Amino acid sequence: MIAASGVTKAYQDGAVRRQVLRGVDLEVSRGETAAIVGPSGSGKSTLLNILGALDAPDAGSVRVDGVDLTASRPSALAGFRNRSLGFVFQFHQLLPDFTALENVMMPGRIAGRPTSSLAARAHTLLDQVGLADRAGAFPQQLSGGERQRIAICRALVLEPAVLLADEPTGNLDSRSGEEVLELLDTLRKRRDTTVVLVTHNPEVAKRCGMVLRLDGGRLTRSCPQSP
Amino acid sequence: MGFVWHIAVRYFRSTRADAHIRALSTLTAGGLAVGTAALVLALAALAGFQNLLLEDLARHTPALQIELGGGSIPGSAGRGAGMTDPVRGLADLAAATNGVAGVQELLYARGWLADDDRPFAVEVLGYEKTPPPWIPVQGEATPGLIVPVSVALRMGLAVGDRVRVVSPRPGLTPVGPQPRTRMLPVDLIYRSDRAEEADDPVLVPLEQASALFARGDRRLDLTLAPEADPEQIGDFLRQGIDPAVARVTTWREANRALLFVLRLEKGLVFSAVALIIAVASFALLAALSMVLSSKRAEVGVLAAMGAPPPRLQRVFLLLGALLSVGGAGFGGAAGAALATFLDRYRVISTPSDVYVVDYVPFLVRGTDVLVVLVVTVLFTAAAAVLGARKASLLHPVEAMRSART
Ligand SMILES: Nc1ncnc2c1ncn2[C@@H]1O[C@H](COP(=O)(O)OP(=O)(O)O)[C@@H](O)[C@H]1O
Ligand SMILES: [Mg+2]
Repeated sequence: MIAASGVTKAYQDGAVRRQVLRGVDLEVSRGETAAIVGPSGSGKSTLLNILGALDAPDAGSVRVDGVDLTASRPSALAGFRNRSLGFVFQFHQLLPDFTALENVMMPGRIAGRPTSSLAARAHTLLDQVGLADRAGAFPQQLSGGERQRIAICRALVLEPAVLLADEPTGNLDSRSGEEVLELLDTLRKRRDTTVVLVTHNPEVAKRCGMVLRLDGGRLTRSCPQSP
Repeated sequence: MGFVWHIAVRYFRSTRADAHIRALSTLTAGGLAVGTAALVLALAALAGFQNLLLEDLARHTPALQIELGGGSIPGSAGRGAGMTDPVRGLADLAAATNGVAGVQELLYARGWLADDDRPFAVEVLGYEKTPPPWIPVQGEATPGLIVPVSVALRMGLAVGDRVRVVSPRPGLTPVGPQPRTRMLPVDLIYRSDRAEEADDPVLVPLEQASALFARGDRRLDLTLAPEADPEQIGDFLRQGIDPAVARVTTWREANRALLFVLRLEKGLVFSAVALIIAVASFALLAALSMVLSSKRAEVGVLAAMGAPPPRLQRVFLLLGALLSVGGAGFGGAAGAALATFLDRYRVISTPSDVYVVDYVPFLVRGTDVLVVLVVTVLFTAAAAVLGARKASLLHPVEAMRSART
């Protein structure tokens, strides 16, 4: 499902060139959940952005859901992100001018789906995360945990093949974080979604089938049973 | 388009949330409203005034005129009165032309009026049928003279007095060359509304005038059928008339300088008032840029979720259009309504002795309003395109990062 090899990425920071990724290889098969752990600034978000076609690697190849990301044009990549990927960000990134329901529907509106069936699907998702009665609320009227659950609904509304989550619980207290993870797990199982999750929380990583450690620009597999 | 409208309309509403953006968007819509209203009003006032002026001009100038230099017609100099008159031929040609309703032959000359004591130099106008429409007298031709009040006063003439008309062209008599003269009664005295009263002509029946002033300047004034086009008929006549003999002039050509000044005036007023719209367009650019920078992270999220950059650009184009259409539409309508009101109820009055009418007339022309709206659309579209361009150049990751810092 996800296959990356020899991915490198450097940032030019003024006169300094920071090599963030130095040849990352990664393979995640369908339905699997992979956790990427590592110290802050090690390049976890950078890698996730490359897997999500939001950023291009300097070298290496990335295939996601059968699409060669490094060989596609930007307009094709936009369509690919819309169709095949779901994003959950550390900061919920909900649109403040839209209600919870409208936020969940947004990827479908971008795709041009008919509004009625889209709204029905969004309602179902909100129901599953226990927020059916908050559908008309605006993000600023919701708690951090509620916002992140709505962000998950938004990521899943078009039933993407791959869900990419960048520290989805990083901003939550442990109880809300736990709820969010529980939810991710349930929803993932239902659709056999492939998940790549960035976290620096060992408790979170423990729940994942595969744990990958990013350090010094390289990705190494670490045994989830022995942290 | 569903997505673009969905986002743009919501962002339009949210322009009220931030004080700076609200101020700028209010300035934009308000400025555009004031600008278009002012433009429509100014053009209506100008059109009303110019319309009166042109109507007045049309009354005083024939739609078409054919001028012959009297003495200077090649080959005609020195010929006797019995020769076939080239003017008659032209008059017949003109009268037979489609769209020409009437032809009046006129003769201009300088001569004198003489009473018992001394002669007064005057402009003489020979006319046939009725006095030309720009001489403010009513009715048919009279056998005698129609004298302007300025001349009547100087010479102490009253209606019924007889006066001698003297031509500078001498006639040969047994006692040597003598000035040609005719004794004619004063039938009417008129007062023209022109400023240069001294140029007001003494009207003499054409027959007498031709006999006295054979070398005066001849002119044919054509009246046209209401729907006839002066330019078209003028072009037609030019084809049939030797330019060495006569010159065909439409009223537009005859008043070219004035018409140019009127157009210039309109252009200057338009440019000056359009500056308001230009400034409002800058405000629109600023407002769009501010909305865009306040929504940067959100636009980044939309891009990350797969919204193509051109569609994100269209969101802000539409937002610009919503801001501008509201303002310009309201302003244009308000300006037109105000102009109509001011005209209908003659609200602004002027002293009647300095102006043709005693109120300021307004004339709302569809084309004027259209031009104003087109200019507004062009200005604001340029601003909106500039403002919205950044939305499509946004890098999603960078944009989302900006929200956190
Ligand atoms: N756009 C950028 N320009 C310059 N440096 C960047 C940029 N994005 C990330 N970096 C740097 O790359 C490194 C890795 O960043 P990131 O992938 O966000 O780390 P992590 O998510 O693991 O904390 C950091 O040192 C960060 O400062
Ligand atoms: Mg990160």
